[in-house]
Amino acid sequence: MVVRCCVLLCVLLLAACSAPDSDSIRFGLASAPTNLDPRFATDATSERINRLLYARLVDFDAQARPVAALANWQVLSPRHYRFRLGENRRTFHSGRRLTAQDVAATYRSVLDVQAASPHRGTLEMIERIEVIDDDTLDFYLNRADALFPGYLSIGILPADGVEAGQGFQRIPVGSGPFRFVRWSGSGSLELERTRDGQSFVFEQVHDPTMRVLKLLRGEIDLLQNDLPPELLQYLREQEAIRVQTAPGSNFAYIGFQLEDEATGKWQVRRAIALAIDREAIIRYVFNGAARPAAALLPPEHWAGNAQLEMIRPDPEQTRSLLAQAGYDTQHPLRISYKTSSDPFRVRIATIVQQQLAQVGIEVQVQSYDWGTFYGDIKAGRFQMFSLAWVGVKSPDIFRYAFHSRSLPPAGANRGRFRDAQVDQLIEQAMAAAEPQQQAALYAALQARLLEQLPYVPLWFEDQYFAVRDDIDGYALAMDGNYDALLATVRR
Amino acid sequence: MPAYLISRLFMAAWVIFGVTSLVFFLIHWVPGDPVEVMLGESASAVDREALRHALGLDRPLLEQWLSFLSGVVTLDLNVSLYHRQPVIDLLNARYMATLELALIAFVIAVAIAIPMGIIAAARQGTAWDHTAMGFSLLGVSIPNFWLGPLLVLVFSLGLGWFPVSGREGAASVVLPAITLGASLAAILSRMVRSSLLEVLGEDFIRSARARGLSNRQVLIRHALRNAWLPVLTLLGMQVGALLGGAVITETIFNWPGLGSLLIESIQRRDYPVVQGCVLLISLSYVLINLLTDLLYARVDPRIRLEHS
Repeated sequence: MVVRCCVLLCVLLLAACSAPDSDSIRFGLASAPTNLDPRFATDATSERINRLLYARLVDFDAQARPVAALANWQVLSPRHYRFRLGENRRTFHSGRRLTAQDVAATYRSVLDVQAASPHRGTLEMIERIEVIDDDTLDFYLNRADALFPGYLSIGILPADGVEAGQGFQRIPVGSGPFRFVRWSGSGSLELERTRDGQSFVFEQVHDPTMRVLKLLRGEIDLLQNDLPPELLQYLREQEAIRVQTAPGSNFAYIGFQLEDEATGKWQVRRAIALAIDREAIIRYVFNGAARPAAALLPPEHWAGNAQLEMIRPDPEQTRSLLAQAGYDTQHPLRISYKTSSDPFRVRIATIVQQQLAQVGIEVQVQSYDWGTFYGDIKAGRFQMFSLAWVGVKSPDIFRYAFHSRSLPPAGANRGRFRDAQVDQLIEQAMAAAEPQQQAALYAALQARLLEQLPYVPLWFEDQYFAVRDDIDGYALAMDGNYDALLATVRR
Repeated sequence: MPAYLISRLFMAAWVIFGVTSLVFFLIHWVPGDPVEVMLGESASAVDREALRHALGLDRPLLEQWLSFLSGVVTLDLNVSLYHRQPVIDLLNARYMATLELALIAFVIAVAIAIPMGIIAAARQGTAWDHTAMGFSLLGVSIPNFWLGPLLVLVFSLGLGWFPVSGREGAASVVLPAITLGASLAAILSRMVRSSLLEVLGEDFIRSARARGLSNRQVLIRHALRNAWLPVLTLLGMQVGALLGGAVITETIFNWPGLGSLLIESIQRRDYPVVQGCVLLISLSYVLINLLTDLLYARVDPRIRLEHS
């Protein structure tokens, strides 16, 4: 009887399962978007999908310079910016015209303390917003910030929905090139390209092996990043799959606690930097799909520094620096190295551990779940840790990560790094009016950081995608966005 | 029977209260701050405090616990800190998926294990017995995270019969259900076999045979009826475990169930969702065990007599 009831239930439940739509182009994601309201989304997937759904005032070019998107801007004074909306992307998917009131409502809501937007901190220099007419609005700042236009990249929402507290996080309404269709309970998100009605389904497949198998079987058409190198290599060998790679800008690094007795010593940080053979890790672990980094911004960034010299392994100098710091074979340097529990990150950590062991540094690798690991890093409970900065475009990151006034909770100076010269260079760069002057100051700043080593720069991991051979038009963006779906078609 | 039912319900309520309260305090004790997760590091102290206040996280822990308990009673489990959706909506969508997977895995396990156990017991020591128990040993020994991809390689990529993963179409549940049900089938078949063998050695079975009943009649009418009790207990416990323990299978097969939601929520320190998931899992576990106990009492009247 019990078994009969169960069989009956199973039949009913199976009938409730929906069959996939074969006309859609299906995109396999390592993690699903969590929030389709651009005021609250912080994870990379949500931000990339929100770029498709919403138009924004400002975007970035290939060198990460802010460029006009919805609006052009004029600097009326260092604390007064005027934005004029153009004609592109001016219609919400609901059919209503996007106006300056919508822009003002979106940003006012981000600035509302009660709304608890995670982007409020970046925009706190906005003193007030004034709407001049349907196409024009002014931003008044409480302090000058030459990088300000670059902060206005949040998607614009309809003012009436903002005021009514509409649930954009699940049912978004924007004016971007893609329209929301549905977001099923199973996590599949369907969007429609407004130009031609082509449907795109974003499906979370957490396990990388399963994502690859689904691509091979045609259950998904496309995947991007988040694969172990050996799976990427496997995909390259498959006839029905096309793989393309391009340089990325996600910066991997090792961070130090500067208030720690050992890692607070410059000689120790320099010795560790000289003991790590990044070229070998890139060659053998990444199969070449990364490039060594000398600074947080890639050399092609408008504020990057292409002249910086890469740190090369030097065991002899490492031992000499360790001796200067008071460590030798009798009294070896012992360091704890925290990393996340992601298997690939743990693998890298054990390789670094082995490389440091070769010069007499004893490393204890401690891996934790993401919440505990990140909590420890922010609280400064570490000697050495590895992390990555993802999707960085604005050089304001230097103020946020290295200025002595950015110690947590005021910023992300997690290692408690304090350097008067760095502070001065950051402040000068922020105050500089001309982009060339700013670029020169940021270049000098990055040289100083490479000398002081609050971080050991590791590498920029390449971006890559793999598609089935009947999909055309997809291309990689340096920050990993999905904008190329605008041109993607099935042959 | 009503007295027995009331006492079991009372015990069930205490278990749920104990488990959810323990998890409430444990998740608050674990390092990691949901406000940090939501606002990031760029937020000012004012923003953090405002959000902490809005979420009620600035109240004393005891007050938060009482508020959570009153929410349980009124079925208001608060809003997810991360998804900013009512927890009850998130649980609803995910629970149905887990229930579907667990039930189908259960049916598959029972359909395989009971005939296998009966054959192994009825033909003890023969090749049938050795083969059945060999399969059973394999089922217990092979971990889910290995069996799942193996089934996908053979049945999805090789034969093309089933989709690799996801929850789309009736065929998509087959491989995850087999993966999840394999170890239950293995344990269950061994339990059916050993329980049957024990009963087959009893005096009343010899009496039945002496009365001239055929082997088939002895097995079905007498032995199986009496061997059913320990199997029933195991089934009750295992169905609860299927509901709460499908995390690995759900992750491998991208099955949008409760287990994967629980893991994601723990990582994000999404307290309301973690509490909601644990509440639902413990509720399911307790209800299934209660149902098993009631069935047990019905099958074996001595149990309720002992209790009364």
